[in-house]
Amino acid sequence: MSSNQQTPYLQEPFRIAVDTGGTFTDVVLADRVGTIALGKALTTPQRAFEGIGAGLSRLAEEHHLTLAEALAGADTFIYGTTRSTNAVVEKTTATTALFTTAGLPDVLVLKEGGKPHPFRQMHYPDPYIPRRLTWEIDERIDVDGSVFRPLQESSVRHAIQQARQAGCQAIAVCLIWSVVNPAHELAIERLIREEWPEVAYTLSHQVNPVVREYRRASSAALDASLKPLMQEHLTTLAHDLTEKGFGGHLLVASSYGGTWPVQDMVQRPIYSIGSGPSLAPVAARSYAQAEAVSAASAALGSGGSADAWTTASDLLVCDTGGTTFDVGIVSAGHIAYTGETWLGGRWIGAITGTRAVDVTSIGSGGGSIVWLDSGGLLRVGPRSAGSEPGPASYGRGGTQPTITDACVVLGYLDPDSFLGGRMKLDEAAARDAFAAHIAPALNMMVEQAAWAALVVAVEDLVGAVRTKTVSQGLDPRDMLIVAGGGASGLTIGRIAEELGTPRVLIPRVAGALSACGGIHSDIVCEFSVPGFAHTDDFNHEIVNGWLWDARSQGQQFLDSLKNLPIESSDLTFSVETRYRLQAWELEVPLTTTDFSTPGAVEELQRAFDVVHDRMFSVSEPGQRLECLVWKCRATARLPKPSIDAGPRPDTAEPARTRPAFFASHRHDDVAHHDGTTLPLGAQVKGPAVVREPTTTIVVYPGQSLTVTTSGNYLLQTGK
Amino acid sequence: MTTTTSSPTSTSASTPVDAPGPQTPSVIDPVLMAVLSSRLDTIVREMENTLLRAGRSAILALARDFSCAIVTADNRLLSSAEGLPVHVIGTEFITEAMTRLHPDLREGDAYLHNDPYDGNTHAADHTILVPVFVAGRHVFTVAAKAHQADAGNSRPTTFMPFVKDVYEEGSLIFTAVKAQSQGKDVDDVIRMCRSRIRVPEQWYGDYLAMVGSARTGERRLHELCERYGVDVVQRFVEEYFDYSERRMAHVISELPAGRFSGSGTHDGFSVVPDGIPINVTINIDSDQGVVDLDLRDNIDCIDLGLNESRTCSINNVMTGFLNSISPDVPHNAGSFRRVRVHLRENCVVGVPRFPHSCSVATTNVGERLVVTTQRVMADALEGYGQAEGACGIGPAFAVISGVQDEEAYINQVFMGSQGGPAGPEHDGWLTYGNAVTNGLMFRDSVEIDEQKFPMRVQEIRISTDSEGSGRRRGAPGSRVVYGPRSGEMEALYISDGAQFPPRGTRGGGSGRAASAAVIGTDGISRPMETIGAVVLSAGELLVHELSGGGGYGPAHLREPERVRHDVEEGYISVERAEEVYAVIVHRDPTGQVQLDLDATARRRA
Repeated sequence: MSSNQQTPYLQEPFRIAVDTGGTFTDVVLADRVGTIALGKALTTPQRAFEGIGAGLSRLAEEHHLTLAEALAGADTFIYGTTRSTNAVVEKTTATTALFTTAGLPDVLVLKEGGKPHPFRQMHYPDPYIPRRLTWEIDERIDVDGSVFRPLQESSVRHAIQQARQAGCQAIAVCLIWSVVNPAHELAIERLIREEWPEVAYTLSHQVNPVVREYRRASSAALDASLKPLMQEHLTTLAHDLTEKGFGGHLLVASSYGGTWPVQDMVQRPIYSIGSGPSLAPVAARSYAQAEAVSAASAALGSGGSADAWTTASDLLVCDTGGTTFDVGIVSAGHIAYTGETWLGGRWIGAITGTRAVDVTSIGSGGGSIVWLDSGGLLRVGPRSAGSEPGPASYGRGGTQPTITDACVVLGYLDPDSFLGGRMKLDEAAARDAFAAHIAPALNMMVEQAAWAALVVAVEDLVGAVRTKTVSQGLDPRDMLIVAGGGASGLTIGRIAEELGTPRVLIPRVAGALSACGGIHSDIVCEFSVPGFAHTDDFNHEIVNGWLWDARSQGQQFLDSLKNLPIESSDLTFSVETRYRLQAWELEVPLTTTDFSTPGAVEELQRAFDVVHDRMFSVSEPGQRLECLVWKCRATARLPKPSIDAGPRPDTAEPARTRPAFFASHRHDDVAHHDGTTLPLGAQVKGPAVVREPTTTIVVYPGQSLTVTTSGNYLLQTGK
Repeated sequence: MTTTTSSPTSTSASTPVDAPGPQTPSVIDPVLMAVLSSRLDTIVREMENTLLRAGRSAILALARDFSCAIVTADNRLLSSAEGLPVHVIGTEFITEAMTRLHPDLREGDAYLHNDPYDGNTHAADHTILVPVFVAGRHVFTVAAKAHQADAGNSRPTTFMPFVKDVYEEGSLIFTAVKAQSQGKDVDDVIRMCRSRIRVPEQWYGDYLAMVGSARTGERRLHELCERYGVDVVQRFVEEYFDYSERRMAHVISELPAGRFSGSGTHDGFSVVPDGIPINVTINIDSDQGVVDLDLRDNIDCIDLGLNESRTCSINNVMTGFLNSISPDVPHNAGSFRRVRVHLRENCVVGVPRFPHSCSVATTNVGERLVVTTQRVMADALEGYGQAEGACGIGPAFAVISGVQDEEAYINQVFMGSQGGPAGPEHDGWLTYGNAVTNGLMFRDSVEIDEQKFPMRVQEIRISTDSEGSGRRRGAPGSRVVYGPRSGEMEALYISDGAQFPPRGTRGGGSGRAASAAVIGTDGISRPMETIGAVVLSAGELLVHELSGGGGYGPAHLREPERVRHDVEEGYISVERAEEVYAVIVHRDPTGQVQLDLDATARRRA
């Protein structure tokens, strides 16, 4: 990122974090005193380490190290990957059998119903496991755990034999009410071990003990189908790292927004789905907290008070890659979770069914095509020019105007310095595309049409962000946006303005936000014990027993981490609960795990009323609660690097100027700054453009951009 | 849309029609129009989300039987995002009742409405209306509508087929009754509902969810008007209607012109043993870009709860038409100017004459209206319309009730899948549910149902060979078996498709007929009436074989690879592949199915 003579020496022990996407692998090398270095390499799906090694070698060299020295000096290596996500979406996972309760074989076919649009005809999606690889097991357990029909072992042996003959490589087992009484699933496990010991399998009550058979079956199916692949993938990576000199701990990013020791992920690979993107909110939280700390100490030094923005506790995390716009939320320091992660489309794809960091892709990137519908209304996307032929300005035969082309026409992207000058953009082609397809029909100039396209694209994202935040009971106007990803800086100022969000924090590591999240992550795991109780007739002893069970599982997990450099650890508890007869649950944190304490039940009711009111604008105090799942979250904190300003010049270098368009105004001399040349505290007034090696930030008229005391960027919309 | 309720030949009553075309001078620039239309949809989605997540009863929150909409102060439907077709179209008739009956509307008011004789769908759909004021002026009305688990009927169900009139139906009827004043409940009304609706906390929970949803919409519309100015927003509304009308005119102008009629029949029972016939006439005027949907040639209201309300007559025939054209046209008062519905008074699919009951207006006859309309389009025009989909709310969608641990329970369950109709390019949607919801509704989780009610679900299985065959096939039906785990459980249901199974179009086959049975504790299965009520004791099981959807085009034109896949997945048998589709396949020992292309070519020659 900067020239060699300036790059500092890193101090051992290092921490290495990697995020392998479908195309690029982000590599981060950091030490504990605050030096952080970013690198990029092409992803090598066949053998992950080839790409990682290439990226890491270059990074090490820039910091006066060899690859072997970097690996040997690292105490932890955090690995986030889209490998499992892509395998599921591309259907390259193992051929997997599904064993279900007799009479209910179509759980994965019928899912939970729902269709994205009432009037659009669509092909009904194939189930994740085909019907021909589904076998019914003769057994049935009831809601209270009693055995209605005993397990017929012969039906299990028959199913195993048939699955083997059909060429299956894994077995997913999901029986009705196994979460209340796992005896039958455990008996099947015993029979699988007897009959076919080498096959991979997953029991639903172990991988994801939730009520709702479709979700649990889908969890088991995804997990079993990933086991052969991810076991191979992770074992090979561990082997390659060891061979090149790494002697520390290999941690794999999980969908919980933390990490797991590699041996845990090998056991439950479904938790590696979405693991890369789930670290973006982790990084966002760390950077926002660091800004708060440095602002507070600066305020202390000057005798003033810390600026209010740093204490905004709710974060809206926007991570814009080449093709998607992902959104996550951090509320009061807690990363938002969801039980609804769908691969391949909501309702029509496969749900993971597990709790995961709520990172949703709500829109497409710069390749979205701009068009006019039959009523003459301007539309953007969802069709995308992709990378082939790509936007018109790529000069690869694309003729349809895209958002990237709009940014070229408007003068935000300098055709000569796109991707650090590696790719020259064709400004004339971008203009031609708008002139041919959009501008005349709207009776607009080309620049006006490009601006209009940007406005519409921003509006689509704003609508989706608003829907998302409000469904969590949060108002985007009270939040701080943290923006990451290479493409976010172009539009985030407009998005913030339309949302009414006054401030955007753009970490200088924005281009590799998820990988940086790895550097700042903890080891996190959740344990659930289903147990139905209602507050009118609360059996303290039974509930305490469920919580004790959850606690022991959490403690056992923490105990298994003894060899790691853990700084501190804790267990926190929550319950999924709802009003009587209500359909969906809300998670409420528990302040006690002993319900024999006087007032404990009343405290739970009060806490639920508050959460319900925040989420849905109504509550019903006094209505009894139905509690469904008791949970323990185990967190083991790892030592983290401080976030440091890094090397910065004392004075700014003069900026180049180019013309640019905002709304219907042409500005002749819009400053284009090289971000790395701006000193701490520098303020850039809009309109301006600030280029960082991994992103370009547009400061719109009326907005301002400040280099913070920690060396990041704070964009203020002036609203 | 324009609706007429007078004598025939009334189609010229509406405003003059412009030639379709993309250029019309605008005051609001197209960018602002795109922004504001998207923002309105966002507001409706936010309302829906509130209702879905806060809803209490299973039917609302699990099956998603609810909708939200924004209507202008002068009662024109403006935005409904992707709501249930049967709920949304016609929201303007409900708000019209409110503005007519309450000339003194005030900010902070909320109204409860469920009157099927004054704009509502049927009595079980409670709607909360909130007039939205900006600077003291009524600008919009937001509506949140949800099917209730109970509506106070004389029997424990929200669907009453065997009633002579609304009195026998017994539902509490509210005609735009004030439920909140200055944002606070009017306790009189709440008390009435709580004392007369079964499981009152469940009703009150859903009422709160509806109020929360409507107030959310109100807040967001305030913000929208603050941000852009109420004058700009109102100007936008007019131009958005014009824009939507242009889109619809354009779509209609591309349809072949003509006048087409056809009919369908709901299964017969009691006073209508031969079934309820439904006739639909569609006139497409491509030159003018206008469509007329005429339902006047139908029988009078019947002494049963199956009459359509005016709103259901309109929205169901509209749904059948909208199923037959591009899905991208905005659905609002603007685009509906181009679709004129003609009804007559005292007609089973028209305007009901009080006190004829409309208890079941949203399903059965309503569903038949949808599928008949789309099939008329398909029969007339190759490449348009759809076959008939499965209809009715049989035992797999029954309203179940009883007593568990000394507490009463009542709710509608959604367990089965019945077959969606085939279209010109797509096979039927498997979890179609029914025609009025078009696949949008969710399906219950067996575990959640068993946790909430003392029931045990023994079987839910897709039925082999139940699809309507075709070049594009209907979706197969399924078999659902359940009963009480303990105590007695009453199940009320109204199947359709036993006597008149869903028909295919353009040479496509019919779906399998529906049937119902009870398996006694002796293990013997006895056939049941397809419309009725049954009280089950522990150990007894209710069986519902749900029908498949109709097919589109001849089965022997279906691509052999699709047939092979259907056999491999067990949707059709090897025998049916040969006999109906003329495709020869073999199952190998691993369970995979191989296509014999040569034998197929000979068979199809």
